[in-house]
Amino acid sequence: MIELDRRTFIKGAGAGGASCALATLLPGSLAALEQKPLQGMGKEVASICEMCSTRCPISARVVDGKNVFIQGNSAAKSFGGKVCARGGAGHSLLYDPQRIVKPLRRVGERGEGKWEEISWQEAYKTIAHKLNDIKQQHGPEAVAFSSKSGSLSGHLFHLGKAFGSPNTFTHASTCPGGYVIAAKAMFGTKVKRDLSNSKYIINFGHNLYEGINMSETRGLMKAQMSKGAKLVVFEPRFSIVADKADEWFAIRPGTDVTVALALCHVLIYDNLYDQAFIERHVEGFDAFAKEVKAYTPEWAEGISDVPAKDIRRIAHEFAAKAPHAVVDFGHRATFTPEEFEMRRALFAANVLIGNIERKGGLYLGKKAKTYNKFAGDKVAPGLGKPGVEGMPKPAAKRIDQVDEQYAMMWSSGGIYQTILDATLKAQPYQLRAWVMSRTNPMQTMTDRALVVETLKKLEFVVSCDVYISETAAYADIILPESTYLERDEEIADKSGKSPAYYVRQRVVETIGDTKPSWQIFKELGHEMGLGQYFPWENMESLQLLQLDRDMARFNEIKQKGYVSYGKPLMLREPAMVAAFIKQYPNAKPTDEDGTYASAMSFKTPSGKIELSSDKVEKMAAGRGVIKYREVKLKQDNELYFIQGKVAVHTNGATHNVPMLANLMSDNGVWIHPITAGRLGISSGDRIRLTSSVGSEEGTALVTPGIRQDTVFAYMGFGSKNKELARATGKGVHCGNLLPNKTAAVCGMNIHTTGITLAKI
Amino acid sequence: MSKRYVMVHDENRCIGCQACSVACRSENGVPEGVTRLQVRVEGPFGDAPHLHFKYNRVSCQQCENAPCVTVCPTGAAYVGDDGLVSIKEDKCVGCMYCVAACPYKVRFINPETKAADKCNFCKDTRLARGELPACVTVCPTDALTFGDANDPSSEVAKLINTKATYQEKTHLGTKPRVYRIPTKRGGIQS
Repeated sequence: MIELDRRTFIKGAGAGGASCALATLLPGSLAALEQKPLQGMGKEVASICEMCSTRCPISARVVDGKNVFIQGNSAAKSFGGKVCARGGAGHSLLYDPQRIVKPLRRVGERGEGKWEEISWQEAYKTIAHKLNDIKQQHGPEAVAFSSKSGSLSGHLFHLGKAFGSPNTFTHASTCPGGYVIAAKAMFGTKVKRDLSNSKYIINFGHNLYEGINMSETRGLMKAQMSKGAKLVVFEPRFSIVADKADEWFAIRPGTDVTVALALCHVLIYDNLYDQAFIERHVEGFDAFAKEVKAYTPEWAEGISDVPAKDIRRIAHEFAAKAPHAVVDFGHRATFTPEEFEMRRALFAANVLIGNIERKGGLYLGKKAKTYNKFAGDKVAPGLGKPGVEGMPKPAAKRIDQVDEQYAMMWSSGGIYQTILDATLKAQPYQLRAWVMSRTNPMQTMTDRALVVETLKKLEFVVSCDVYISETAAYADIILPESTYLERDEEIADKSGKSPAYYVRQRVVETIGDTKPSWQIFKELGHEMGLGQYFPWENMESLQLLQLDRDMARFNEIKQKGYVSYGKPLMLREPAMVAAFIKQYPNAKPTDEDGTYASAMSFKTPSGKIELSSDKVEKMAAGRGVIKYREVKLKQDNELYFIQGKVAVHTNGATHNVPMLANLMSDNGVWIHPITAGRLGISSGDRIRLTSSVGSEEGTALVTPGIRQDTVFAYMGFGSKNKELARATGKGVHCGNLLPNKTAAVCGMNIHTTGITLAKI
Repeated sequence: MSKRYVMVHDENRCIGCQACSVACRSENGVPEGVTRLQVRVEGPFGDAPHLHFKYNRVSCQQCENAPCVTVCPTGAAYVGDDGLVSIKEDKCVGCMYCVAACPYKVRFINPETKAADKCNFCKDTRLARGELPACVTVCPTDALTFGDANDPSSEVAKLINTKATYQEKTHLGTKPRVYRIPTKRGGIQS
């Protein structure tokens, strides 16, 4: 829990102050510069947050030249003009004396922490020389490029492709990849949740009240408070979402799939499913129904500790609210090697009640192209893309392209952790360099020691970031990126039930010698002799190209920051379809029942929702049909070790931001009183957690809000390099306890293991 | 006094995310180490699985009968025309009587101004510009409602009149103007 009494608060702030003083010694940091007043770009600037991956629309203004006040952009309705603690603290990152504002070169051993400031030109020259050298000797595929997905990541990947390497990775396999791949297998595309209109929500630890995703968090609260929706939560820990639930079940870690399958069993065998929907839109029902026959609630109870009678009752309650009910398919939480089956089982429960394209259920995003087709009119403009002639086709296979079962992941971010094997074991071939942007695998991947070994073995490592992150601390060259408050970016698609666009704009003039990464990778590309692949002059020329030089549209979007078009549309919701055709006289004619059900299509081989999939069967034998497989996540004498998000921090990114570090700089380890009592541990004691790969020291937080066989810690803490002065050495580093394992089909990096616990 | 500004904190909606606390700090330039506003997530209370947290807003309660004003020897702590308990920085001698007198323990000496400080519903900043207090503006789950309770058509008046609410330490006779809507799962049933 966030402990925020006045005494610890003041203590924490004091410690932060002390480490600030030390950090002024860090070369290239903002502290080395004289602090000038902030220069705002306008009175109120509409932009996009980047303190987490949700990227909420924001509105920011400079206060007295010292500060920026950030609130939500009220033009974006589902975001409600709101912002979370991380978003509100954006200026604390902007003005952090520990921020890196000069390119740096490593002068000591890798990871030793000795740096010298260099010029941009020298940085580009060094990188270009080294990478081109590796390319000449070993081929471009010997260099991996990775970035947190979204916004400017495309510019790094563009450089990677121009260079000729197929090895580009996002953070997908350490975060959202599981549900993305499961959705791809079943629906052929990503799907969205309409939480705000739901009347019954089943949640498997998707902690939307701590891992805040503004529109969904608000949607869930709206459903609960204004619509009287019932919320059922299955989670090993008493999280905030468990607290707000009507019912909470402390499920055994990694067994969510059993409860999800048992829900499906009851829906099918108590005849609660939507037969007409299944017949019309679903492929592979019979095979699924046959498999699910064995998965009774009684069976699930034996594995998950969730009472069978409750599973049965909940399935009936859920079906009674169909189709305006939803099983939340979750977000980041790859707790088992059977992640793919777990996510598919969650989707299956939705498909069975036919909540697809219904209020309160699941739906497909309506981008301009689709929306305009239904409207029979150009309601929303499309976004143009710059075409670049003659981009090289990589000759080599991707390093993760060994096992066919991961084929869907190759184009969806790749399997990030295969960089480790390729570097350390030359499997399938030797990687020699790694260029990364705003990514911190040292925190977000598992087996930290292995990541260290990998970074030490590589010939050359480049990191582009705003801080010397735990990972950047092992780079040869660090490229200081401007924070999001100092950057312009391309116009981004934020379509939901109707098309919407928004844009990130600079709020303040750049502080120090930093550059936006689109500019960094363009300039680096020129230095590498790849200038022909970067024909655009600057960001404005890219933005104008996107909008087909429509100046009026350009100014509108810049001024409002967020523009949405049309009326919300869900294809099988009669009232919404009626409002839609009333609005657009040329709209596509509806079916007899007044919906667009027949126009609903899925990008799967059958064009239908594939409850069971031949495609998956071909990729991974035995996995076409969703099936339960027993997994062993811990040894018998061990406790489950699980993690989660907290509302004031984001993954491995924000723990050094002063304001947020002051709110929370440590992650107490949640231990059940009975377990603690057995080990002689009290709250506040120093404890040691030991797993098969590492050992961490932490502080005990004894609480009934956790299962007896499980311990929990918020992720992202316990950085081990001195550069992140406020975060280093505080709390348990989760990645140092988790072994490097990959889940089947979806390629996810697994984040549960067994640990032993002892008082120090 | 024509206005009676009150704040209603719906503990059912509050998720303890600290967005309010950060916004307050940004808007009012609150220095590190001190704070005008926190939401403390306390607990869990109860016996598993029937546990619950308490979401405790800790900030100035804007007492109608404010002990900090009574004890202030210089008149630095005063009640303004708007009814808000305010501080005249230049009159404050830093004697800390008000800090000691506050039953809610929300007053502090600002390390930059050396004067007593606390939440004033963003009186000098956002209210002065005709905006809502920072915490209310950003709250992700709409847990906060602010307004003039003397205006029967205001949201706050409607909430106070229709929902079960409670105030902290009313037995001290301070008449606090932060109202709380108790969580359904807590000890007090609404």
